[in-house]
Amino acid sequence: MARAVVRRFLPWVLVAALVPVGLWGIAQAQAPKTLVIAIGADQTGLDPQTVENNESGFVMSTIFDSIVNYKPGSSLVGPGLAQSWTISPDGKVYTFRLRRGVSFHDGTPMNARTVAADVDRAINPNNPCYVLARKGVDTYDDFTFGNAKDGTVAKMEVLDDDTLRFTLPKPNAPFLSSLAMVWQGIMSPEATKKYNCDASQHPVGTGPFKFVEAVRNDHITVEANPSYWGGRPKIDRIIFQIVPESATRMLKLERNEVQILADVPPADYPRVTGNPQLKLYQQPGLTILYVAMSNDRGPFRDRRVRQAMNYAVDKDAINKGLYGGATTASQGIPPVLWGYNKDVKPYPYDVEKARALLKEAGFANGFATDMMVYANPRGYNPVGGAKLGEAVQGYLAKVGVTAKITQYEWGAYLDKIRHTQYEGFAICGWSGDNGDPDNFLGDLFEWDYANNRQRTNNCTRHHNPAFDKLIQQGRQVTDQAKRAQIYIEANKILHDDAPGIFINHTSQVRAARATVRGFLLNPLQMFFHMELVSLQ
Amino acid sequence: MADEAGVRAAASGRTPPAARRRAAALSWRRLARSPHLVVGAAILALVVGSAAFARALAPHSPVDQAFTEQLRPPSAAHPFGTDEFGRDVFSRVLYGARIALVVGILADGIAMALGIVLGTVAGYFGGWVEATAMRTVDVMLAFPYLLLAMIVVAILGPSLTNAMIAIGIVYTPQFARLVRGAVLAIREQEFVEAARALGAGPIRVLGRHVLPNILSPIIVVATLTVGFAIVETAGLSFLGLGASPPTPEWGSMLATGRSYMLTAPWIATFPGLAILVTVVAFNLMGDGLRDLLDPRLRGRGF
Repeated sequence: MARAVVRRFLPWVLVAALVPVGLWGIAQAQAPKTLVIAIGADQTGLDPQTVENNESGFVMSTIFDSIVNYKPGSSLVGPGLAQSWTISPDGKVYTFRLRRGVSFHDGTPMNARTVAADVDRAINPNNPCYVLARKGVDTYDDFTFGNAKDGTVAKMEVLDDDTLRFTLPKPNAPFLSSLAMVWQGIMSPEATKKYNCDASQHPVGTGPFKFVEAVRNDHITVEANPSYWGGRPKIDRIIFQIVPESATRMLKLERNEVQILADVPPADYPRVTGNPQLKLYQQPGLTILYVAMSNDRGPFRDRRVRQAMNYAVDKDAINKGLYGGATTASQGIPPVLWGYNKDVKPYPYDVEKARALLKEAGFANGFATDMMVYANPRGYNPVGGAKLGEAVQGYLAKVGVTAKITQYEWGAYLDKIRHTQYEGFAICGWSGDNGDPDNFLGDLFEWDYANNRQRTNNCTRHHNPAFDKLIQQGRQVTDQAKRAQIYIEANKILHDDAPGIFINHTSQVRAARATVRGFLLNPLQMFFHMELVSLQ
Repeated sequence: MADEAGVRAAASGRTPPAARRRAAALSWRRLARSPHLVVGAAILALVVGSAAFARALAPHSPVDQAFTEQLRPPSAAHPFGTDEFGRDVFSRVLYGARIALVVGILADGIAMALGIVLGTVAGYFGGWVEATAMRTVDVMLAFPYLLLAMIVVAILGPSLTNAMIAIGIVYTPQFARLVRGAVLAIREQEFVEAARALGAGPIRVLGRHVLPNILSPIIVVATLTVGFAIVETAGLSFLGLGASPPTPEWGSMLATGRSYMLTAPWIATFPGLAILVTVVAFNLMGDGLRDLLDPRLRGRGF
């Protein structure tokens, strides 16, 4: 009897027993795929036009599209909200054809009118939300579009629902790269209106992820935008977790509590590379670091002296010893940027050659000069100026050049570099803004003919008419391949001019779990194209 | 503490004439009986010795960089390890002793010279001269030492020489106060009056009769101050206001070592210990001298 009962009900019992297993499977299949990214500090606002800090940029790069976007993993400009664009032959008129059928996360349709409504607050002083008139905001609006005050501002027209046109007062090819910056992400004009010009804690974009919540000093959550024009993201949500302590961040990655670290201190590289469950992502950053020389004063007026200085310093040893293996520099831009001249190699470490050049220039016994340094670390110089100065000083001493180091506080240092005709060495560097070569070569090494002085950040006071001519040409030509050719040539000139001792391009380094797939570093350091990332 | 001791020594003003006093105070037998003084002097001899013979003792150059030898822990080749530039920390500490001693003693000398002039003038002449000098001194004393030194360096520009001058200025007030107190007590003594009655001018009275009688408190404070001056110099260099690279200065070595505290603690530890040992030596000597030279403490023994 009992056996009969068992025989009769056993299959059912077994089936019933399997139900929870099946449910678990379904639950597994549907569990939201969450990616946690550890960042070191909180965002300071998520309205692209009103912030400039990296952490804000990290989050905004998942929420917003710009009129054009950087191509995955590069600083080259590709389609964004605009599917295609044309540039007039004189390089002044940019006409963008926008995508159809794209909406902002709040349902507002994205078209030429709504995009123009958002850009209007960057260029129109009469706009009630005019960004440049707001107090306490950092903005790239004047950098990108020019300023109405000095008549450099771009003119904007809506030609029809899909077509937007900008007219520049003079040709400026880097304009396109600047439009792609995360700081020019397009916000829904409805949101700006709804939150009284300040939607910085209620960001509404068109990007692959929608803003969910931001908890001060704890986390920011964004979730997948299923109707993203670039395809639905492969993960369901991203949580940017704020973990100020770098040791804690590392532990969290090792315990799989976070899957990506936004930055990794060099001391932790071995811990990541030695762990098969983790992966270290590394590429030369969009930076340059060099020891400037006063090109118009002292022994440095002679190009041979400047080249001798480049031969005298063992840059590879310094980069390995102090910078955790940064890429040695040889020209004005980093190798991740288009326009980089691959045929130009760094000056080798060659004391004999340095001595010979010095002798040729009439300084057989060397000379004594000054070196200005700063102490604080910078994005392009993580060990600070004083350390680099001391290392370089040691090498220079071997060819008879004595450099007396004086350290200044950062504010005073900048003032000395920009507004005094200092003589000697100084530590200079740069982090790129928009991924355009002009943002390096022009900003750092061009002469300002209108005012007959060096441009603000030309701290070597480099002045070479042939070079300046190329830089001006680079702004007028709009064909990107032709521009690249111009910059390749300019970089060769710069290498030979040796305005500074070319030191390095610090690495951009991130770490992730091995389960993270499709993750690409972008030279601009932002988390662009996170819709391509998946979790195994 | 130093001030108090000095002032106390000075206040016990009824001192016998100079020559007898000094002979009694500084006999070798008495010196040797003060353990503070002996230990302090012994340590100091060691520091002075390593400074004087740094060239012979140091296994490496204090400034030569070698990135291949970076951040090595202490070993036979590098007894104190190497720093982030691959320089030998032991050699740098040895050469650092030179700088510390020279700067400490010179800064102390500046403070002493200025302080004695201010103090004697104020104490001897009194009136508005005294009021002006002493109020200035009070204002200077109202600032923390390091802050005042930073202000002076900010005005003069950062360099080791200027740091030395700054510290000399900063320690002037304590000498001025001490000397003035002592002069006040001495100038009413009969032998000073006698000298004046015989027609001696102020310079002769001060130089022949007053100063020799207040030397002992000055010696005590001067000894103690060398130690403080060394710490302050290191402090200024630590802040980047003193020695410029690659000078092997203890304070700047501490500053760079700070960022390697967890991975290469030897870079900061050894210069830190060097500062500690040197300053303790000067303080022990100062204490020992005070015990010997202050008649009220005499004979109590340790």
